Amino acid sequence: MGMKDLVDELAARRTRARRMGGEEAIARQHAAGKLTVRERLDLLFDAGTFTEIGVQATHAGIAPDLAGRETPADGVVTGFGRIGGRPASVIAYDFTVMAGSMGRTAEVKCNRAREIAYTKRFPMIWLIDSAGARIQEAIGSKSFAGSGLLFREESIMSGVVPQVAAMMGPGAAGTAYIPALADFVPMVKGTSNMALGGPPLVKAVVGEDITAEELGGSKIHCEISGCGDLEVEDDRACIRAIKDYLSYFPSNNTERPPVVPCDDPADRRDEALLTLVPDSPRRAYDVTKVVRAVIDHGALFELKPGWAKNVVVGLARLGGAPVGIVANQPMVLGGALDVDSADKAARFIMLCDAFGLPLVFFQDVPGFMVGSKVERAGIIRHGAKMLYAVSEATVPKLTVVLRKAYGAGYFVMCGRGYEPDLIVAWPTAEISVMGPEGGTNIVFRREIAAADNPHEERARRVDEFRKLINPYMAAGAALIDDVIDPRETRGVLIRGLDMARTKTLQRPWKKHGVMPV
Amino acid sequence: MPDEIKAHITGVVFQIAAKAGDRVAEGDAVIVLESMKMEIPVEAPRDGAVKEIRVREGQTVQEGDVVAVLE
Repeated sequence: MGMKDLVDELAARRTRARRMGGEEAIARQHAAGKLTVRERLDLLFDAGTFTEIGVQATHAGIAPDLAGRETPADGVVTGFGRIGGRPASVIAYDFTVMAGSMGRTAEVKCNRAREIAYTKRFPMIWLIDSAGARIQEAIGSKSFAGSGLLFREESIMSGVVPQVAAMMGPGAAGTAYIPALADFVPMVKGTSNMALGGPPLVKAVVGEDITAEELGGSKIHCEISGCGDLEVEDDRACIRAIKDYLSYFPSNNTERPPVVPCDDPADRRDEALLTLVPDSPRRAYDVTKVVRAVIDHGALFELKPGWAKNVVVGLARLGGAPVGIVANQPMVLGGALDVDSADKAARFIMLCDAFGLPLVFFQDVPGFMVGSKVERAGIIRHGAKMLYAVSEATVPKLTVVLRKAYGAGYFVMCGRGYEPDLIVAWPTAEISVMGPEGGTNIVFRREIAAADNPHEERARRVDEFRKLINPYMAAGAALIDDVIDPRETRGVLIRGLDMARTKTLQRPWKKHGVMPV
Repeated sequence: MPDEIKAHITGVVFQIAAKAGDRVAEGDAVIVLESMKMEIPVEAPRDGAVKEIRVREGQTVQEGDVVAVLE
């Protein structure tokens, strides 16, 4: 054969591989409300930048029932390209080919795609739509005994390059650990699910009858388990979320987060900030309104918005520079921190610190929850994660005390003892070991009991206590940097960030700490 | 959707915000608890009419206790 024939054969092979699982399987994929893997990649990468690797791959030829058949690209599309002008590597499972099952050849391709991201130090993205391991090829210890290295690699590269695992279909069994170890896990409503054991295994092992959706659908993981970061409407919204998320992050941990031009004035004063926080310290309000009034264009990319809602964490920009926001949410449980919210905040603080995103804390916290339920759930251990994460973080840290800053809540939300580069308070701030009511009951228990009118005596003592915790006490002792007009918050934070840009903290050498997980 | 409205946090009943026979919309406060020094509403999980309020002001309720029932 001459070169022309050879080239024609190559073109024919490429065409066959790119047809994925064939017309019928593609129609089923679309009927399920899903895009095909190649449609997804067209949306993900900047036009004309995607380079595929391993398109000629097919199954390993060891499963008798696959003899004589091809598995186009072996059920997973891998390669690299540019997203928003910056490089990224991808592993995208193709459900139209053997349900996206992970075959031996597919694994070789995935190893290669990870190698590209990890040695060149840019983001690794998984689009997961896979039935899990291809049992026909994975059966027997000769195959299995050497497998599983992907989770080790993913762990080692955590915090070096951003890792995103989007759930765009099923992710069963071991595949569920890919998202577990990734930084960001969007889940498509209705079509995605993940579980260590899928429904048939669950039925066989523990006898429970349950659907994949009830077992590990997006609602379960984004509202109850906390394993998902964001529920998205469909595949297009999912790809948009991945691109938005990555826009806040550097390509790796040695670069700075990308700054964008900002036409939202740094000195913008939002009058609404005068009325968003109720006068009564016992009343709730939506803290995201405060956050949105301060950040660039009100654009907050919340993570885990449906889980542990008593703390709000999310990505935003101030003066064009990415920041991580941590805010107590008085609308839920009065903003008190509990087991899940401490986990959520600690993980987010670690994420931002790993990639150099400054942290901005908005404090309005009546403390950690108390009582037998949270003690049995290990609130001490979970609360300690937040102490640990905020202590470890060496990125610029800015703190605004909006209202309550009680007890250990003040510490974990980056109180003065936790190296904030700037800590300011609104005139409504109350920085205190505990609230006035609780404090008065303990400190003046005898006086109140002995008074002619205990009720009046308590009210009088509460008023006195309150005077001791107004922000001018802390500011008068120079333990906070200033008391500010709420409308000044945006300007103060942007100037604070500018000041802290050159922050350098050298921690003592250690292999690693012992995190209170 | 369940008819029973349960407290999602341990606390003291601070205020009864709806009475038997009242129509409530999803998200409306049915009672308000005081806990962690905050007024925390217990909200209707769906639209409906209140059949019964099972608590009184000043009463301590545990997380999971039924505080009201919808028709």
